[in-house]
Amino acid sequence: MGLVLKLESLRAGYILRSLDRNRVIPAVNEVSLEIRDDEIYGIAGESGSGKSTLLKTMFATAIEPPLRIFGGKIYYYVQNKEIDVLTLSVQEKMRLSWQYVSYIPQGSMSVFNPIRKVRTVFLDFLKSHVKEGEEKLLAVATRHVKALGLAPEVLDAYPHQLSGGMKQRLAIALATLLNPRVILADEPTTALDVVAQKAVIQLLREIQRESKNTIVLVTHDMGVHANIATRVAIMYAGKIVEEGSTTAILKRPLHPYTKYLIDSLPRIGDKHVRESVPGNPPSFLDLPSGCAFHPRCPYVQEICKREVPQLVNVNAEHKIACWLERR
Amino acid sequence: MDDLEEENKRMKAKTLRTYLARRILQYIFVVFLGLSLVFFIPRLLPQDPIRAIIGQFQQHGAGLDTKTVETMVVTFQELFGLSGSLVEQYLTFWRRILTLDFGPSFFQFPTPVSELLRRFLPWTLGLMLTSTVVAWLIGNIIGGIAGYFSRSRWARLMDVLATVVRPMPHYVFGLVLLILFAYLWKVFPLGGGASIGKPLSFNIVSLLDVLRHSFLPILTLVILNGAVWYHQMRLLVQNVKNEDFVQYAKMGGVRTWCLVSQYVIRNAMLPQVTGLALSIGQIYSAAIIVEIVFSYPGLGTLLFEAISRADYNLIMGIAAISILTVSTLVLIVDLLYPLLDPRIRYR
Repeated sequence: MGLVLKLESLRAGYILRSLDRNRVIPAVNEVSLEIRDDEIYGIAGESGSGKSTLLKTMFATAIEPPLRIFGGKIYYYVQNKEIDVLTLSVQEKMRLSWQYVSYIPQGSMSVFNPIRKVRTVFLDFLKSHVKEGEEKLLAVATRHVKALGLAPEVLDAYPHQLSGGMKQRLAIALATLLNPRVILADEPTTALDVVAQKAVIQLLREIQRESKNTIVLVTHDMGVHANIATRVAIMYAGKIVEEGSTTAILKRPLHPYTKYLIDSLPRIGDKHVRESVPGNPPSFLDLPSGCAFHPRCPYVQEICKREVPQLVNVNAEHKIACWLERR
Repeated sequence: MDDLEEENKRMKAKTLRTYLARRILQYIFVVFLGLSLVFFIPRLLPQDPIRAIIGQFQQHGAGLDTKTVETMVVTFQELFGLSGSLVEQYLTFWRRILTLDFGPSFFQFPTPVSELLRRFLPWTLGLMLTSTVVAWLIGNIIGGIAGYFSRSRWARLMDVLATVVRPMPHYVFGLVLLILFAYLWKVFPLGGGASIGKPLSFNIVSLLDVLRHSFLPILTLVILNGAVWYHQMRLLVQNVKNEDFVQYAKMGGVRTWCLVSQYVIRNAMLPQVTGLALSIGQIYSAAIIVEIVFSYPGLGTLLFEAISRADYNLIMGIAAISILTVSTLVLIVDLLYPLLDPRIRYR
């Protein structure tokens, strides 16, 4: 199974400018991960854990101020060639975005230009990547929308005439127009009702099965991950604290934080009161020393307060960054 | 499916019809109210214009006996539409407006007011419409582009220029232009609407002459008003360019010129269209000053004369025609709005 995307000890974030000094917000802190061909890779975590920022760094043209890369490497694997994304020119990044890797944004309610027909927006995106006549491009768009099981008439609508669920599905259609190898989806089901959520999840799964490409799915909703992700990474304070196959993570979570996350999921018939993680997530401006989770961890040891645990393999698939596993 | 489409079309037509009908009714109401105010306000003043005129005559030494004065009063009441009860006067007023007959002007007696309006209105309309539209377009386009590329050096330069120019009063800026380009470096005429002694006709020479005369007043208005539009547009674009749909289109590699024109400027333009309609109401106040500075033969100069000589009929005529033109222009802008915003066309 080949790779499609690799991050190497990536550090990224934002610079908060104030009058006296500039403060760095390390939203992504030393993250390394490998995303493979033909899988759905889930990234989970609380809000403010840096998962959306991590996803943005994977999309070449999204890396622009205020988002900054402080260090590390990002690789794409286009036609089995390793490409160092950060060294590419703007034109090359533009060419790769949408054709190799595409992006489904958070909150699709406002991703369509309110004064342009959906069809025209599709054409705007197509025209900048494919040199063809308008007629042909429109035919491509119509065929694609039909293939995803949507009525082609929606292309003739203005955004304000469509429901939220329809807009989200159209955003997915727009992101998959050029059949990219990697689709980055940022909270695609958030802000939708459960019926629309189900439709969106099914759509994503069908697209992935159909074209055997890769979806990187960011959501705080463990239920969605349990449903469609092949592998899951858990993020906490800008770091990946656990990564493994979805079954392994759900059945046998190793990191105390992951355990809390899984335990907070409701189960049918279980009337137990769910326990949440004690305390609040830390601020990026004032991260705890050592393991960032140690103030909330029930198994905290001396070493946790002093040293940052590295992400290490427990077995071939399962990785964890916790001192508990090193006993 | 056909039924659905049919229904859809019917709904679209209906929302558009409701919008148009509402706007046109509003237009008629505004014009009616405005013109009625023109009728009532002077009548609330404690002065009697006829006595004032006759007083002026007597001051100039005309010996008038009581009988002559009485006949003069009646004649003037006829001329100014002041005979009969208030209701009768009001009806006469409307009859006069509908026939565009405002009686004779006093300071250019016996030229009818309608004749004066016909002579002066085209100059003002030409000057004001051109400068308003040009200032709006230029201010918005440059402001839009500068707002999008706000980090570039030329955008910052434009900011500085607009900020320096904007607080200047029209008469100061107009005078500076006059001194620079008509007095020190004589490329443009000092004033007037066209060269004296040449009859106006529709040929190139005449047209160029008119353009040359109107260049400096138009430049004054375009630069000063354009700077205001520039600043407003810059602020609007600053917000629009952070909207999700702009950021997303940018990430998707949509071409920059398409992004700036169709995604950023066209969306930021919508409140500016409303702003244009509102600013049309101020055309006349700016016109008076600029026309006087450049001694331009427009309504502003005429109104200034009329007020300083208490020319009743002329003031009413100018006020009435201003109300009509301004509300008609505002109506036109409002009727264009649905073309720009589909959210008003179909709901």
